[in-house]
Amino acid sequence: MTFKQHSGKGGLTRRGFIQVAGLVGAATSLTANFARAEGQINYFAMDLSDDQLRAMLRTILRIRWHERTMADKMLSDPSYRAYNHFYAGQEAVATGVCAALRNDGPFDQIDLVYSSHRPTGHALAKGVDMAKMQAEMDFRATGLNGGYAAEMHISDPSVGFIGADGMIGPGHVIATGSAFAFRARGSDQVSVVFGGDGTYATPHFHSALNNAKMLDLPFIYVLENNLYHQYAHYSYSCPHTDIADAARAYGIPARVVDGQDVFQVYNAAKEAVDRARAGGGPTFIEAKTYRYYNHWGAPGAQVGELGAFGYDPLAITSFRPEREVRAWMQRDPLDIARNTLIDWGVMDAAAADAMEQEVLDEVAAAFAWAAQQPLCNPEDGLKNVFAAGEVLPRQIA
Amino acid sequence: MTVKTWMYSVLEAVQWEMQNDPAMTWIFELTPPVASNAGMPVINLETEFGRKRVVNVGIDENWMCSAVLGAGLAGSRSATYIPYQGAGMPYQLIQNHAGKLRHMTGGKASMPVVFVIEMTGQTPGFAGQHSDYEVDSAYMHIAGVRTVVPSTPYDAKGMMHAALRSPDPVVYLYPAGLRMLSEEVPDEPYEVPLDKAAVRQEGNDLTLVGSGAGMPEILKAAAQLTSEGMSVEVIDLRVLKEMDTETLVKSVTKTRRLLAVDQSYYTLGPAAEVVARCAENVEGARFRRIAFPDAPPPASPEMFNWMRPDANRIYAAAKGMV
Repeated sequence: MTFKQHSGKGGLTRRGFIQVAGLVGAATSLTANFARAEGQINYFAMDLSDDQLRAMLRTILRIRWHERTMADKMLSDPSYRAYNHFYAGQEAVATGVCAALRNDGPFDQIDLVYSSHRPTGHALAKGVDMAKMQAEMDFRATGLNGGYAAEMHISDPSVGFIGADGMIGPGHVIATGSAFAFRARGSDQVSVVFGGDGTYATPHFHSALNNAKMLDLPFIYVLENNLYHQYAHYSYSCPHTDIADAARAYGIPARVVDGQDVFQVYNAAKEAVDRARAGGGPTFIEAKTYRYYNHWGAPGAQVGELGAFGYDPLAITSFRPEREVRAWMQRDPLDIARNTLIDWGVMDAAAADAMEQEVLDEVAAAFAWAAQQPLCNPEDGLKNVFAAGEVLPRQIA
Repeated sequence: MTVKTWMYSVLEAVQWEMQNDPAMTWIFELTPPVASNAGMPVINLETEFGRKRVVNVGIDENWMCSAVLGAGLAGSRSATYIPYQGAGMPYQLIQNHAGKLRHMTGGKASMPVVFVIEMTGQTPGFAGQHSDYEVDSAYMHIAGVRTVVPSTPYDAKGMMHAALRSPDPVVYLYPAGLRMLSEEVPDEPYEVPLDKAAVRQEGNDLTLVGSGAGMPEILKAAAQLTSEGMSVEVIDLRVLKEMDTETLVKSVTKTRRLLAVDQSYYTLGPAAEVVARCAENVEGARFRRIAFPDAPPPASPEMFNWMRPDANRIYAAAKGMV
């Protein structure tokens, strides 16, 4: 785990922030392309130490190179069996949100994350072990979940990653149940769900928000609006430009953030976490973002190249224009994080390059380890149905 | 007569019914009602009938099935296509509304509606939630809903015509793995009844019964057994509710041996019902069933493939009975 724990208590208070505001006037211009409101002067992630800022860049790099390596393996290695829903392009969202959470410690004190069918970025940002996760993706017996899960069901409660979910909707409501338990037992933990723009249409979206508000639950809904659910643009299923408007209608404070800027995402998450821990109830964050690959697998992608621009045979209803993909890639979350930290003097280009090389080595080692892991025992499919014992092999007469 | 895929055959039936009933509607989610086939025109219900009658919505299977039911109650024939990811989501609506409305209104409610529900569960690697073959057991248990599961393109088209013309709500289970299965299918409309099993092969030594996506493996096993001299009768259930007891009992009375096969979980799968009905009606016969164990399908292909009641398992079970 690379993430340094952020307690949520060590940052600057608002008064402290005003005292140092004058020192950072130059830095504010870096993020001036985002409209400010509600007194949000100053720069993002100002309460974090340089070490913590660098840790965010490292997390983005780890997610990015894990993604790119998966794509290259899928495209070039016939012995590679894993499949996945790529997260590349959205790294700043998982990274910024999880940087505001408590990720280490006893299970009854850490914050919980409910993920989606696009889970790898959330998992890595929350602290899931990359090598074990990769072995799971490749259906290995020593993978994170013993080969039962594969990508869409990865789970590691030890770091508060409740897990991926192959369905759209129910996980959001379940996440409110965890928040309900936190409130009932007097814990200051928070429950976070990551969902996509496709969740708006589900009844679960509305149930989660209404009940979280009615009970003032420590619940944070992070909606990653990457514009497409599967192959359909979100305008097919949601009448709002900003889905956050819907949360406001439920009486929940909501922010729309630039999901490509990890520091901006972090600020919104920090505000939400502080509110939840203080008993202030739920928050909704809509991060505007984009995925660089198609919905599933790597159709249209090429080895060694970031993103998918070619034809996806599954995209019958809505095909993403290449220029749309490229326009979003101009505002790449990795470039933004790296350039900002170099501009701020947090690190120089050589240090950023060295960090990237360390990450490349780590990713290569994780994939190599995963590929050497044993395959599953067929008979183990009868286990883990209940807490103890196994079921009968009914396929055999 | 043209060689057509399952997918095309189904949409051909829907297209004909919509052309002949300007009130009929179709609601889809992620699966556009589009199909192409060698030597045939492309079918696209959305462009042909327009977005008032053919709509897609967001991820909300509860709405899709509720809306279809409401359209039916208002006098319009209506159908919806639920993708496998949401196969269980509309259960409550079908179980507690569609299934009960006619009876609880003393026969006044009429529901000429079809819930097409896609099923997966034959593909290694899909894992837990994207493998949902067990919904056959759940839907066939509901009273007041006709639940069918075709296994050939010919039946898929004929049963779609019959389902759309039925005044009863029909759950039309659609095994995703059979989508590209092809055979000669008539171009004109025809009906395959919603209450009859099909005898796929006649024989005297053993009755082999299955349904839906299980049929290709059953036929493979039957071919192997036949080539080794066993006389096997193969029955494709086609209809889970009302199950065709007569065809089953007639066969087992003759063969005295029944092997029922499910891709679904063992407990309360269609095979359990097949065995129970035959046991009640045929004295002194031998009964066996094999099924997917009572465990969610795991991701690992090694585990998953071992757990499937595939052709080898069926063959071995049959050999053990004769």
